[in-house]
Amino acid sequence: MAPPAQSQKSASPSQPSGKGEVSDVKMQLRQLAGSRSPGTDDAKRELFKKVISYMTIGIDVSSVFSEMVMCSATSDIVLKKMCYLYVGNYAKYNPDLALLTINFLQRDCKDEDPMIRGLALRSLCSLRVANLVEYLVGPLGTGLKDGNSYVRMVAAVGVLKLYHISASTCMDADFPAMLKHLMLNDKDAQVVANCLTSLQEIWGLEASASEEAARERETLLSKPVIYYFLNRIKEFSEWAQCIVLELVAKYVPSDSNEIFDVMNLLEDRLQHANGAVVLATIKMFLQLTLSMTDVHQQVYERIKAPLLTLVSSGSPEQSYAVLSHLHLLVMRAPFIFSSDYKHFYCQYNEPFYVKKLKLEMLTAVANESNTYDIVTELCEYAANVDIPMARESIRAVGKIALQQYDVNAIVDRLLQFLEMEKEHVTAETLVLVKDLLRKYPQWSHDCIAVVGNISSKNVQEPKAKAALIWMLGEYAQDMQDAPYILESLIENWDEEHSAEVRLHLLTAIMKCFLRRPPETQKALGAALAAGLADFHQDVHDRALFYYRLLKYNVTVAERVVDPPKQAVSVFADTQSSEIKDRIFDEFNSLSVVYQKPSYMFTDKEHRGPFAFSEELGNLSIDTELADNVVPAQRVEANDKDLLLSTSEKEDNHGASNNSSAYNAPSYDGSRMVGASQAQQDLVSLDQPPPANVPVSLAIDDLLGLGLPVVPSPAPSPPALKLNAKAVLDPNSFQQKWRQLPLAASQEISMNPQGVSALSSPQVLLRHMQGHSIHCIASGGQAPNFKFFFFAQKEDEPSTYLVECVINSSTCKAQLKIKADDQSTSQAFSALFESALSKFGLP
Amino acid sequence: MLQCIFLLSDSGEVMLEKQLTGHQVDRSICAWFWDQITCQGDSLKLLPVIASPTHYLFQVVREGITFLACTQVEMPPLMAIEFLSRVADVLSDYLGSLNEDLIKDNFVIVYELLDEMIDNGFPLTTEPNILREMIAPPNIVSKVLSVVTGNVSNMNNSLPGATSSCVPWRKTDLKHASNEVYVDLVEEMDAIINRDGALVKCEIYGEVQVNSHLSGLPDLTLSFANPSILNDVRFHPCVRLRPWEANQILSFVPPDGEFKLMSYRVKKLKSTPIYVKPQLSSDSGTCRISVLVGIRNDPGKSIESITVQFRLPPCVLSADLSANHGAVNILADKTCSWSIGRIPKDKAPSMSGTMALETGLERLNVFTSFQVSFRIMGVALSGLQIDKLDLKNLPSRPYKGFRALTRAGEFEVRS
Repeated sequence: MAPPAQSQKSASPSQPSGKGEVSDVKMQLRQLAGSRSPGTDDAKRELFKKVISYMTIGIDVSSVFSEMVMCSATSDIVLKKMCYLYVGNYAKYNPDLALLTINFLQRDCKDEDPMIRGLALRSLCSLRVANLVEYLVGPLGTGLKDGNSYVRMVAAVGVLKLYHISASTCMDADFPAMLKHLMLNDKDAQVVANCLTSLQEIWGLEASASEEAARERETLLSKPVIYYFLNRIKEFSEWAQCIVLELVAKYVPSDSNEIFDVMNLLEDRLQHANGAVVLATIKMFLQLTLSMTDVHQQVYERIKAPLLTLVSSGSPEQSYAVLSHLHLLVMRAPFIFSSDYKHFYCQYNEPFYVKKLKLEMLTAVANESNTYDIVTELCEYAANVDIPMARESIRAVGKIALQQYDVNAIVDRLLQFLEMEKEHVTAETLVLVKDLLRKYPQWSHDCIAVVGNISSKNVQEPKAKAALIWMLGEYAQDMQDAPYILESLIENWDEEHSAEVRLHLLTAIMKCFLRRPPETQKALGAALAAGLADFHQDVHDRALFYYRLLKYNVTVAERVVDPPKQAVSVFADTQSSEIKDRIFDEFNSLSVVYQKPSYMFTDKEHRGPFAFSEELGNLSIDTELADNVVPAQRVEANDKDLLLSTSEKEDNHGASNNSSAYNAPSYDGSRMVGASQAQQDLVSLDQPPPANVPVSLAIDDLLGLGLPVVPSPAPSPPALKLNAKAVLDPNSFQQKWRQLPLAASQEISMNPQGVSALSSPQVLLRHMQGHSIHCIASGGQAPNFKFFFFAQKEDEPSTYLVECVINSSTCKAQLKIKADDQSTSQAFSALFESALSKFGLP
Repeated sequence: MLQCIFLLSDSGEVMLEKQLTGHQVDRSICAWFWDQITCQGDSLKLLPVIASPTHYLFQVVREGITFLACTQVEMPPLMAIEFLSRVADVLSDYLGSLNEDLIKDNFVIVYELLDEMIDNGFPLTTEPNILREMIAPPNIVSKVLSVVTGNVSNMNNSLPGATSSCVPWRKTDLKHASNEVYVDLVEEMDAIINRDGALVKCEIYGEVQVNSHLSGLPDLTLSFANPSILNDVRFHPCVRLRPWEANQILSFVPPDGEFKLMSYRVKKLKSTPIYVKPQLSSDSGTCRISVLVGIRNDPGKSIESITVQFRLPPCVLSADLSANHGAVNILADKTCSWSIGRIPKDKAPSMSGTMALETGLERLNVFTSFQVSFRIMGVALSGLQIDKLDLKNLPSRPYKGFRALTRAGEFEVRS
């Protein structure tokens, strides 16, 4: 037997090896090409099907391209469709051969059947071969004027496809103007909608290059156009409605009457069967009423029922997407949903990710009246078979306890968990009891009695073990056995694999020693010896540090290791409110599902129309054109990527198909966060830092560098002087704005004269410049104006960034200040405020 | 804007690939995706929306088929998911059901459908009635026809009239020999009952399903005797909203065939038709279980296909269960299913038995939930009643039919 044949077979055992079959098909097609005998179409159809099924399973059938084209002269629509499909797939790689197809496609574009005209036009535009665009212009032009709406609809999208192949050809043929005319006059709603999507994208991309396109893009958001769409909204298909609603959400109505008109008009969309329409409407309502607090709240009440219905109907996938949005709203306004808590009860069959969202919402809506019910429900889950679920629900109980409702009953319940004698329940509960004790030291007696009964042998998880050890150290005087339990733990030092636990063990034995020296001395010695010999750097250092501290002075050691503690009043929130706001701005987008603003998870070039970096562009009066620069770059980049990847593919065709381009993503970022959190935990365990003290100070405390435990108020900073000629380019502004934490945020009132002078924002800009505060971007329409300012210190390159939203109807200004140098941000804030308050005064 | 749609079989094989924009998405994304599923163990455990290193992926799973869509730009996630669900619905409508073989046999039709449903990443029309006019379903009739006439095309020769009509969901010149319309109330009861037998939560999700075969352009009005019990409603696009807001009357021009006219929710129901009382007590390594089922609140019609299911906790080694009525089966994944059917007149069904626990475990320390299912024909448990259905604009008197059905949705009893 010939070896080559064998090897060919073994190459792909499960699938047809391809080569042989493809050449077979090629032969047969060639025979059929010229034949006109009856039954040819049937035979062709079978062959075409075969070719396309090969294509579908990933076999390369580009070699039969010319035969396919030769066979394409047919009147059978299904044959035509299969041929279009094939050609669309391979034309890119065979630009020369693609030329062969142009002829028959162009002929089909003139067919008397509108369906064939439409299909041919769609395929023609989908060839995406740059040197064939000249053949596209003619059919597209006639397509846009076709008597049948199906063809016009296809042509409208075709223009966009042409634009992506060759923007200049598209612009030169003046297609956008034709689209605009169609958009405003066509009687078929789908044609109108397709024109809108194409125009939005084309003008968005052109805007950076041409002022005219930028103007045109703005007219899309002008009152007459918006009203035109709103009046026809019911004619549109559900998907087109989503697109229109998305557009309307960007429109800024001139006054509150107009807002109410728009909302009244669209209110019935909330009852649409398509969840996407409902969500797009909700987004619009929320955005419109953002500045009207009481109406905004009414909107929440109004959208509650549709959202809850959407969650309970539909498939699990749909309810997850809705639930993510509901989650966002519940987190923003828990009190509005507090009576609907039963909707967030978990069903046994639900997937874990749904249960987790629900648990978070249950935690958020807990208040005096429903806490009992909610905690009872959560306790059900704690006994659940599903271990991750049990853990999450115990954490939820703990979070509710930390929210201060009905703590008494909750502590009892938590202690019952400890008696359930299940390892994961005990572990989670211990961690929680520890946190609770840090906040409510008054419960220590009840807790210690129960915790003391737990055998440390039953606790294996490092976090839980650390919590238990912390309690042993912290309440050493109340727990009879504390020194002996710790001692036995220290005896097994070498078997303890977690550095975190060993660190805690050191600190706990220190505390225990300081309270009950005679019983602990021996164990302390053993612990310090073991610690000094430890291979882990932190453990070693801490042991050494304790050793030297004790050697130096025991009272100092006590002050460092075991000072009197204040109860922690508020635990740090994991997500800043600013990020939550940002996500809220991006309602009805992926950001909500990922619970991250898009700039945190999309590459710059892939950022969608909501991205932050655009906000500045959006707002700036001068560079209004820049709005869609980012998508423009995105598409360009995509195209480049594409070219690159195709050429690469040609180089190593076989390999690239199964190459490991998609490795599991590595989440370095999260790991780092985890680590730093752990560190913070560790530090705060020993020394809960008062809310305002930066962590570094707490570390200093721990290290006993002679700083007082409670820091004296910072010395009042010297008067702040600003650089009158500060410069900052928009890019670095954006970058800084994204990087820096929020230093100050406040609302101030403005004097009415100042507000009335706001009719032209330039006046305010000049005024602020007089105070060495420069504007980098501004925008908005009455009553809301938004400004981005920056300023620099006179003597050093330390900058302050300000976002200032002025509402001219309420005479209020919202400030968000960020600063390189956090310590002087208050001083700057005062300076800014005084400058702003002088605005408008003679 | 979606960039690509893949259909994957339940073994992760790519059955179909539809590129939507100029940006070609490489197939290797599917391999990455499948790795994620295999490391989760179950496609249902994977989030419907995930980020791969290069794309954002939306997945919808129906009957073992994964509908996977990719994009690189921000977009409303629900739009993508709704669209994929709609694709799945339309496909199963066209092919009769959904499975790997059906899709592979009819992939040309699937391509044709996708072509009409989405262009350049934006959804176009997903209305089954319109699609059916553009692309004929592969049914027996058309197969017979093609044999007889020799015309093998499954394409209609003309474009659907509806694309340019003012009622986009309906063809203008429909003709039926017999005019008939059926209205079904289909309700699902979701309930949680705790171990003391108290109702933690009980609500009904209902749909009004209409099957219409009417000629011409009929105008229908449907009214309820007690619309005030409805908590929240959603409508098919054909429903005019003003009459509903003014008088709670559903006024509409129906699409042809079956469609979901309206869905609603009724909150805070006070009782369930049946009770399920599980009792578990354990002693020295064995656990005795007994479950009683009976009628709590007679709905007036017979309750059918009652089954009680629960998952044996992992710490249970073996179980010996028997029932005085119906059959008890323990499946391979430790799911125990007791199918009762109807409740007999003379005795109350009960299931009892013992479960052996893991060595070292004295008593059962986890609770299981019992999933109950049942069907009641002829009753809408929410109490919603149809008052009357008026038809205007019809050449002849039509036949009207009404039905109601309630079944258990997520009906869960805790032990």
